[in-house]
Amino acid sequence: MKKFKERLGRLTPGKAVIGLLFTWFILTCIVIPVVNLLGTVFFADGGFSLEPIQKLLRSKKAMSSLKNSFILAPTLSITVGFVGISLVLITEYFDVKGANILRLGYMTTLIYGGIILVSGYKFIYGANGFLTNILAGIFPGFNQNWFQGFWAVLFVMTFSCTSNHMIFLRNAMRSVDFQTVEAARNMGASQFTILRRVVLPVLLPSLFAVTILTFITGLSAMSAPLLVGGTGFQTINPMIKTFADTQNSKDLAALLSLVLGIATMILLFIMTQIEKKGHYMSVSKVKTKIVKQKITNPVVNVLVHVYAYVLFAIYVLPVILIVLFSFTSSKNIATRTLDFSSFSLENYRYLLSNTSNYKPFVVSIVYSALAAVVVGAIVVAACRIIQKSKNSLSSGLLEYSLMIPWLLPTTLIALALMMLYNQRHWYMFNQVLTGTMVILLIGYVVIKLPFTMRMTKAAFFGLDNALEDASHNLGAGEWYTFRRVIFPSILPTVMAIAALNFNGLLGDYDMSIFLYHPLNKTLGVQIKSLTDESTNPNNTALTFVYAVLLMIISAIVLYLVYGRGSQDNTTSKLTKG
Amino acid sequence: MIRLNNIEVKFGDFTALHDINVHVKEGQFYTFLGPSGCGKTTTLRTITGFNAPSKGRVIVKDRDITDMPVEKRNIGMVFQNYALFPTMSVYENIAFGLRVQKIEKSDIDKRVREMAKKVELSDQQLMRKVAELSGGQQQRVAIARALVTNPAIICLDEPLSNLDAKLRVQLRNELKEMQNNFGITTVYVTHDQEEALTLSDCIAVFNNGFIEQIGAPNEIYNQSKTEFVCNFIGDINKLMPQMIGAIAQQSGRALDPNAATYIRLERLHVNYHGAHDVVTLPARILAREYYGLYIKYTLETSGQKVKAIEKNDGTTYFQVDENVTISMNPDDLMTY
Repeated sequence: MKKFKERLGRLTPGKAVIGLLFTWFILTCIVIPVVNLLGTVFFADGGFSLEPIQKLLRSKKAMSSLKNSFILAPTLSITVGFVGISLVLITEYFDVKGANILRLGYMTTLIYGGIILVSGYKFIYGANGFLTNILAGIFPGFNQNWFQGFWAVLFVMTFSCTSNHMIFLRNAMRSVDFQTVEAARNMGASQFTILRRVVLPVLLPSLFAVTILTFITGLSAMSAPLLVGGTGFQTINPMIKTFADTQNSKDLAALLSLVLGIATMILLFIMTQIEKKGHYMSVSKVKTKIVKQKITNPVVNVLVHVYAYVLFAIYVLPVILIVLFSFTSSKNIATRTLDFSSFSLENYRYLLSNTSNYKPFVVSIVYSALAAVVVGAIVVAACRIIQKSKNSLSSGLLEYSLMIPWLLPTTLIALALMMLYNQRHWYMFNQVLTGTMVILLIGYVVIKLPFTMRMTKAAFFGLDNALEDASHNLGAGEWYTFRRVIFPSILPTVMAIAALNFNGLLGDYDMSIFLYHPLNKTLGVQIKSLTDESTNPNNTALTFVYAVLLMIISAIVLYLVYGRGSQDNTTSKLTKG
Repeated sequence: MIRLNNIEVKFGDFTALHDINVHVKEGQFYTFLGPSGCGKTTTLRTITGFNAPSKGRVIVKDRDITDMPVEKRNIGMVFQNYALFPTMSVYENIAFGLRVQKIEKSDIDKRVREMAKKVELSDQQLMRKVAELSGGQQQRVAIARALVTNPAIICLDEPLSNLDAKLRVQLRNELKEMQNNFGITTVYVTHDQEEALTLSDCIAVFNNGFIEQIGAPNEIYNQSKTEFVCNFIGDINKLMPQMIGAIAQQSGRALDPNAATYIRLERLHVNYHGAHDVVTLPARILAREYYGLYIKYTLETSGQKVKAIEKNDGTTYFQVDENVTISMNPDDLMTY
């Protein structure tokens, strides 16, 4: 009580206002929507009822989507794990010719993903696809719809979910102390033994972590089942969207999103336990950079090279075709024939000269930029509070509250916000938010909180405390110290995180599809509607132009974050995750 | 100038400082010396205001500053890793404190350049980022930044500990010269006894949150008041009862063989008598270490091992297993 009174005594009006703002934000944008969602499921008619569970068990569609998701997730973990490890070994461990080019190819998933990537794959392998037509030419009677269902989803997602491997696992590989490899060789170990007993164990903690992330991605799959799953293979998330659009099945949508949320929580709990065990630390005093290993067996060497370049083709082909076809006419796109003589900037002109075409792009850029700035500001303020009041109950509460969205799938958050704010509530100033421009911004901010929090906190805590002491010692007060010393020091990291958040939101579909304003479609929603088979084939050209522009923006952002001189500081912090 | 009266500092339940009393006179170079975790930095940070004492008062120039915020104290500080602001140039770093005081731009420029000149930083170096400077240059920036606001006192927290041995000696000398030139009252924290002995006018030796002894360097070294100080400062031999007995017998002194008795290495003379030596014992060379300036011998005498150092005169060089004598003056024994 005495301590509480002391703390209350130290509370300035400014601190009190900030505290109230944080409490309001956490309650209204995170806690109450989720609690309301639970209520929608289990207290629909005022009293507690398990009826929605029975309804779920009776729904063939829902049960099938659950089954499909739980088949996809583990299978995907295995396939992505295999491909991901291969990529890292090819680019970082073995001496494979053209590794730099290969690395660029394998990293294309960092500049495009989600709905755009899947539509790229569909353009090649789908009905009348580029490769499908070639195969049909060779094998008459070839089934045009061969690329559909479980295997198609698995294929697309296997090659689109290796981004984490190319960041985290690659980083872990780079931290292998080469002297340990030399020591093993000195003791007579073969190349395979060294890989199995010395190198891979060092990667194991990172591998576990990325595998769980892959598992969660598999469970939350949206774009791939939607575009290439066909009627036979739909997973939880697309089903949530279908149910959410039907008035009578909203409770089913909510319940499915809760199932997804619980599964995510369990998996993240496991991941945290693995993280706690920590990474292997090199005990070497003089750590040596890894030297690429030449594969001594000539047959294996050739096989590895062939495998590496086949993977490269799979990764790069959609990107190349998207870029090339973005310059061709809709006729060429419809027939999947490349005619270089018909190359023009017509599609780009068409996009830029038509408001309804470029508006989704502008809408997404504005939303993403706003969300990146807002979430950055919220988290910087929160981290400063946490840093200044270490070990206090309020700072702990603040930190964990802002990490809640980490446990919740995007669709659950979207649904929770949508279902709560379709009515007036005093705590939201009696405003209905569903259907307005604001709700998507809230959604974007909320889903980016945990990542931003983790990274920004690391930047704050990586700061030398002596800098702040020095500033105070030189006469500077709290605000001056923050403005002139602390903020400039963390600014590169804050900017990098904002850039990555901007990138991540630009082509978002999963959140946008629930919360977008009907008159202001986001890019993800627009692309999805353009890729629907029923729409005008001319629009596919537009999709490609969107995709190319997105790739350019993403590549620039990634270059600014990971390229140039920031390699040592920001990149290492961000990739430590 | 600075008075610490009965200072106690607590971190939770842990008492880091017990009843610390220090009096630093104006213009003095005062050193807090001790091993890691002994409380020396905590005491320094209590003076600068980073730690609030749970008991006692901090008085500077007869003014009680115990409850004064850090930023109001005007006590310069040089941090262990210098804490230079990495986002600012050398110039901006030095000007920081002056900008906080809202001094006019032209005046800031004048004072920064004057101070840079005093610590031998060139105009080009002023425009560089701090990361582009060497360790020695960074130290000079840190000192300039601390001094440019004309503080009454400067506190230095192990500023040489991150540097290599040669640079440490060089900068130690520069530091002393600078302190002489500025004439500023200096409180210095170090765990390096050599640094403390060479730089200080006065030393306070810390141990486990207490001050064991305060005194001039020669007092601390030659008349160590406690066994801890005696052990901590310089190399020393602890004598066993048999050897104490032999010394007592030869010198006719009443020495308690069970008391903790020490003698410094340079007070033992191998194969010769010092001017005041009255005790000579037979010994055998067990090992020798060649240091260039001197040679350190490990000897066996009176059933125990002792160490002795001899100046390297270029001619005397005892062999391992050689039988020699060691001589000493019982006045040099320190007993606790």
